[in-house]
Amino acid sequence: MPIKLLFQMSVRNILRHRRRNGMMLAAVVVAVAAVVMMNSLIRGMQQDMADAAVENLVGHVKVLAPGYRDDPGIQKNFELASDWRPPDGVAEVAGWAMRVRVPAVIMSERGTRGIQFVGVNPRQEGISFLSSARMAGESLKDASDGRIIIGQALAEQLETGLGRRLVIITQGADGLNREAGFRIAGLYDADGEGMEKFFVFTGVDALQKMVGAAVFTELSIRLHQEPALFALKEILVELFTGLEVLDWRELEPQAAAMFIFADAAVLIWFFVMMGALVFGLVNTLVTSVMERIRELGMLRAVGMRPRSVVAQVVIESSVLMLIGVAVGIALGLAGIFAMGDGLDLSLWSEGVESFGMRTLLRPVPLFDDVLLIALLSLGLGVVASLYPAWRAIKIKPLEALRR
Amino acid sequence: MSDVSVGNGVVVDCAGVSRTYQEDAVPVHALRGVDFQFARGDFVSLSGPSGSGKSTLLNLIGGLDRADAGTIAVDGVAVNALSESELSDLRLHKIGFVFQSYNLIPVLSAQENVEFIMQLQGVAPGERAERAVESLASLGIGELAHRRPGELSGGQQQRVAIARAIVTHPVLLLADEPSANLDSGTTEELLKLLRRLNDDRGISILTATHDPMVMGYAKRRVVLRDGAIVEDSAN
Amino acid sequence: MAEISAEIPTSRRSDGLPASVLAIAWRNLWRNPRRTWLMAGSIAFAIWMLAFSFALQKGAFDVMTDNGARLWIGHAQVQHPDFEDEPLLENLIADVPRLRRSMEALDGVVTAAPRAEAAALVSAGERSFGALVVGVEAVAEAQWSGLAGAVAIGRYLDGAGQAFVGAAMARNLGISVGDELVMLGTAKEGGVAAAVAEVAGVFSTGSAALDRSLALIPIADFRAAWNLAPDEAHRLVVVVDNVGEALDTAQAAAGAAAPWRVLDWQALMPEVKQFIDLKLAGLYFLFAIIAIIITFSVVNAFLMTLFERTAEFGMLKAIGMRPGSILGQLQCEALLLWALGVVLGVTVTLGLVLWLEAVGMPMPIDPNEVMPGLNMPDRIYPSMGWGVASVACLTLLAGTQLALLVPAVRLRRLNCVEALRTQE
Ligand SMILES: Nc1ncnc2c1ncn2[C@@H]1O[C@H](COP(=O)(O)OP(=O)(O)OP(=O)(O)O)[C@@H](O)[C@H]1O
Ligand SMILES: [Mg+2]
Repeated sequence: MPIKLLFQMSVRNILRHRRRNGMMLAAVVVAVAAVVMMNSLIRGMQQDMADAAVENLVGHVKVLAPGYRDDPGIQKNFELASDWRPPDGVAEVAGWAMRVRVPAVIMSERGTRGIQFVGVNPRQEGISFLSSARMAGESLKDASDGRIIIGQALAEQLETGLGRRLVIITQGADGLNREAGFRIAGLYDADGEGMEKFFVFTGVDALQKMVGAAVFTELSIRLHQEPALFALKEILVELFTGLEVLDWRELEPQAAAMFIFADAAVLIWFFVMMGALVFGLVNTLVTSVMERIRELGMLRAVGMRPRSVVAQVVIESSVLMLIGVAVGIALGLAGIFAMGDGLDLSLWSEGVESFGMRTLLRPVPLFDDVLLIALLSLGLGVVASLYPAWRAIKIKPLEALRR
Repeated sequence: MSDVSVGNGVVVDCAGVSRTYQEDAVPVHALRGVDFQFARGDFVSLSGPSGSGKSTLLNLIGGLDRADAGTIAVDGVAVNALSESELSDLRLHKIGFVFQSYNLIPVLSAQENVEFIMQLQGVAPGERAERAVESLASLGIGELAHRRPGELSGGQQQRVAIARAIVTHPVLLLADEPSANLDSGTTEELLKLLRRLNDDRGISILTATHDPMVMGYAKRRVVLRDGAIVEDSAN
Repeated sequence: MAEISAEIPTSRRSDGLPASVLAIAWRNLWRNPRRTWLMAGSIAFAIWMLAFSFALQKGAFDVMTDNGARLWIGHAQVQHPDFEDEPLLENLIADVPRLRRSMEALDGVVTAAPRAEAAALVSAGERSFGALVVGVEAVAEAQWSGLAGAVAIGRYLDGAGQAFVGAAMARNLGISVGDELVMLGTAKEGGVAAAVAEVAGVFSTGSAALDRSLALIPIADFRAAWNLAPDEAHRLVVVVDNVGEALDTAQAAAGAAAPWRVLDWQALMPEVKQFIDLKLAGLYFLFAIIAIIITFSVVNAFLMTLFERTAEFGMLKAIGMRPGSILGQLQCEALLLWALGVVLGVTVTLGLVLWLEAVGMPMPIDPNEVMPGLNMPDRIYPSMGWGVASVACLTLLAGTQLALLVPAVRLRRLNCVEALRTQE
């Protein structure tokens, strides 16, 4: 039988039972829309974790002195011209920052805390969370600014505030402890309290002066696009022989593992939804076959091939799925659009932050994912039609006509 | 309602009954002012060509459909004036139906099918079973009481349907082409049965039919053509 | 009109539905076994999905909570009412021995151990860092604390003048077992608190926060240096034998611990609690969508049933059955269908859960690599969550009954003359 005729018959059979097929379509639409939305939220979560990891002063790639990771301190340093810039050949570089980052103790009249003391060049920190964090007071003016900015949460712990002086103790390049007073220029408000309690910033020149060496402990580079990472890493390895060049997955294995987790979650969601759907789909298709038992029997009697019977059922299922998937994806995208800036998860803020996520969950629809969902759904439509099709070719012409 | 004659001897009284179907802008006059009286204990056959309005008239009398004009009284009750649920009750208590395709409940056995209608009436279980068995036995299918419709022949199913229709002691038994799916031998048996019910128990029977044999067994013969009675004669 | 209706005996229809309606419904269910199994299967699938995922999660949550609690924090703590928000040295609990006895007398409590703590500057040679110095009762803590067992080098505290420090801190300070550690802080009533200890051991828990910032010393040494009375402490850490009952135990403890405040693990580890809540919210959302899909499928199945049985319903109406009674019949069918799905779903779930309860289920990815701080077990032993299973069952009961509303409308409009014609 010509495929066009089969197609026509299938469509007419769908139209013959509008209510029933409409109901089935509604179920497909709900499932597909939910999967599309959930998928984009999971992707958003994933991206969030990656972004947070990257913004946490990590960047996509970091250059460190060997041994710094095990024993972070000013001794594990390297020298770099303060006007260093990445070689011209590297595309996609969003920015870079040269820092001095050392463990230190910070003291107010009211308390003492262990912190990471970071010397930065504010002009380079567009790549880290520092540039986007809400700030009370002033930010650092330049690399030689000798004031500090501390996290809101740390300020509360130390019972201090803007303009007050704090004493910071850290080890100098010569191995001896240095102690210096710093005035608070600003208080930053980061996404996670952990961060606020952990990082204290000052101008990199000021910190170099304090530790007594014009060296850096890290160079952090951020890209526009993650895929460029590989090429960059290769170039850097060559450029900085004797130093460690690490990407964020190596630096933040936790976030990287969650990435894999999220990939699996996308598929789990899809299969659970479709699992729920398949019962109704098979029921609808089998009923459609059994109702037409006389018609199909007659067609068989006048010489229609079993192949064509199967084709009819498969086409019917595929058409149903195709419409459902199209409408479902449209609805899902509309739902994503309606979410706007994202879902507010602040109810679970600490749990969310302990994953390195933000409390505002932005959906990130990916074309590849949507395509995958569509193709898998259509595949499922074909699979679901196999049993009904098998049932249909089992119909004996005589028996069907007698009914 | 004063024009409804509530004579003791009249079970069905139709006066000027019309029914018009509005199909695709073309009105179909299924019945055009039918006047028809039906005495208690009578056995009437309703015949006429296909499309002449037999089923329509039966449905109107049975309260399954409503007339556009005229009045119908069944056992003195004006059917037109009843609400849907009052009609339900009328059918349940006063009318027995026998359909062309039997229409038994497929998941129930013969006896359960007969009991079912009494359950609707709220008859106590003991009495129900007794009456059902008795009713089936009186129609000669007592031994088939526990079979389901799928396991019965057409004639046997039709007997079960009759048992179900008469078990409630209706004042009127309506049968629309009860023999259409039966062979002549079975039809004859069925007709003898109806006649016996009519003679012995005095059940009033109105049946629509194309079958001359059915007309022969009836006491009175009414012929419809184009929605009007063209002949009405005693046998 | 009164006389007319009086002639029709309506009073006897009080029950509306025959008693055998359930039996008829059951038989009707098996007129189309394939459809019934498909629909019951979909209901069972939904119940299984929620109840089984929850059982898996619950097993993981329990172990996660327990490991988190047993690592260091405990299942509950007795504290000064202000201590959690303001961990100041002055916010002490007093009369600790008596309090401890009353805690240990509670059902399910394994042990209660006091701790005293203060932020201090710890130094070794030229290097110094900020740390949290905690005075612990070594013998009591060694019984349960995962930290005490996480010895990387050396040994746990076993005498006065010793310290047990985190690996990151040891690295930062450049110290190891046998080295001297100096602790400087502010004592009670404002004096200088100073203590010197020899490093007995170094621990490595995998939790960056603990490994970096904790230094343990015997509580007696702490009291001496920070000037606390022998019956004073900051926390009384309560450990229970069954994490599932930890919240109840904490509640009971709250009564016995007055005037002090009792914090349960949910308050002590809010991130764990919220992690659990977030997971559950996702799970419920997934289930809600599935319940909707399945309700659609069931509506569809009932529409088909109605369509196929139109003539039958027409006959029932013709012989005087009311639409309401016919609907009641269908409701019974829906109820039985649901019950079948429930039995199927609960049986499968329970079977799986009982089996996994015995053998444990390995995690697809080793979770400790993913979240070292949260201490996930690598095998989960799920336990049946009857509460969630009931939620699933009731939701689907509502769904299946709701699913009848669509056919119900059609039933009411069903014209029996038309309906009877459909089979010809
Ligand atoms: N539901 C309906 N809608 C429209 N027209 C109808 C309907 N029912 C019956 N008719 C028309 O009304 C007329 C009378 O029909 P009815 O069924 O009463 O005929 P009948 O005498 O019972 O015929 P038969 O012997 O074939 O059963 C016919 O012309 C038929 O086409
Ligand atoms: Mg007819």
